[in-house]
Amino acid sequence: MRIPKSLAIATMLLLAVVIQTTLFGQLRVVAPDLVMLVVILFALTRTRAEIVLVTAFGAGLLVDLIGSSLLGLRAIVFTAVAYAALRTKERAGIGRFTTAIWVGALTLLGVILLVLVGTLFGQSSLLGPDVGTRLLVVPIANLILAAVFAPVVVRVIDGDATALRFT
Amino acid sequence: MLNQEPRGRTLPVLISLIVVGVLLMTFDVRSQGEGVVAAVRTGTQTLIAPLQKAASYVVNPVTDMIDSLSNVTNLREENAILRGELADSKAALIAVQDQLARLEFFEQLYEMESAGDDIGRTVANVIGRPDAFDAALIIDKGTSDGLLVGQPVVDTNGYAVGIVKSVTRGSATIVPITADRQALTVIVGDQVGSLLSQVVSSLMRLEILDAREPVLAGERVVTSAQSVSFPAGVPVGLIAEDAAPIIDTLISTVEPFVNPDTLRLVVVLAWPPDPISIIVDDTIVPEQTTTTTTTEGSTTTSGDGG
Repeated sequence: MRIPKSLAIATMLLLAVVIQTTLFGQLRVVAPDLVMLVVILFALTRTRAEIVLVTAFGAGLLVDLIGSSLLGLRAIVFTAVAYAALRTKERAGIGRFTTAIWVGALTLLGVILLVLVGTLFGQSSLLGPDVGTRLLVVPIANLILAAVFAPVVVRVIDGDATALRFT
Repeated sequence: MLNQEPRGRTLPVLISLIVVGVLLMTFDVRSQGEGVVAAVRTGTQTLIAPLQKAASYVVNPVTDMIDSLSNVTNLREENAILRGELADSKAALIAVQDQLARLEFFEQLYEMESAGDDIGRTVANVIGRPDAFDAALIIDKGTSDGLLVGQPVVDTNGYAVGIVKSVTRGSATIVPITADRQALTVIVGDQVGSLLSQVVSSLMRLEILDAREPVLAGERVVTSAQSVSFPAGVPVGLIAEDAAPIIDTLISTVEPFVNPDTLRLVVVLAWPPDPISIIVDDTIVPEQTTTTTTTEGSTTTSGDGG
């Protein structure tokens, strides 16, 4: 039975938000940004580019609403990252390692944007004591997770067992 | 390099979404997180909270196990230290019980009634955090347990943690004092000052505007009776470095007692008991020296003072 794409996307995002805020919220040492990772991986699917952007915006807004920071901050950042992912996705499908590096680089772009835009809007709490470490740890954690889960996410959303099958 | 294929409406959609995002941010800044924004936040958190609670129930044993594994080398040493501290605490407890018995005797003798500490306390589990860059804590208690926006939060030792920023029926979000943009009014010795969070530092900035004497490293910083967000006397931290007044202004740094990243359990204080009492409040919350240990079903206690 094939899962409707919209349902698969919504479920995956909700799952990412819940795991992000509970499991990784308590394990501060291991700190990926699961929602950003899922948003980046959406760009690899056959979903229309406009829908990927709107989904990224919605996902960011959801994280903003759950947290304490400015409403719209992550929405902007995730949308920009999704756009960068859409524009460069042909570079990512070469192999598992390339995909992981691509995700890591886009996550780095995302967290830098988050800190920059947040600081411009007075969100100084984003610049916590270990901001430098987090700027590196989050992309590396996303890179590792992407190496493992990228094909699964793409196959579930596209409903195609052969999608992103690296040779 | 970049994919140069025509993308149809991608760029206009991107620009539109960024404009909407900037408008939302501006609106949130202007409304100071209240009104419609607060209502939408509460609504979303109400929908997500049950899922977070269920997930937390599953992941808590996993995180506990990982925490234990990462600390396994220190556990023996820590156990030995704790055994020593337990023996000292037992001796101190006996002495305190003796003093309490004497106090009760004198109260009866002079027909006095204990003023007591009538601040209600709600113990809550920290079930999560929004993401790596958001210092807020999500707890498993909400309006159904008597929590309200603006209530102060302390840890199990009675040290200041933060303020309840938003609350749903079954959960609440706490902004730690170390990430709050609002200053906390504190007292060092007999000098009143403001405590602010700093960027890229775990230390907080202390400003005393009518300083008369220097502050010394290791001096205790507690909340002032002038604070509108905490009851008086809640311990916040220790002065990190000596500082002397320049003309009448003193600036120093404070190391907070609490690291919000390590908290698994917090206590929300039902303060002020009524909004009018905030103006004349002089209640001192006694610092607790015991550590509360609770299981998943945390407890709500009221007025015991601990």
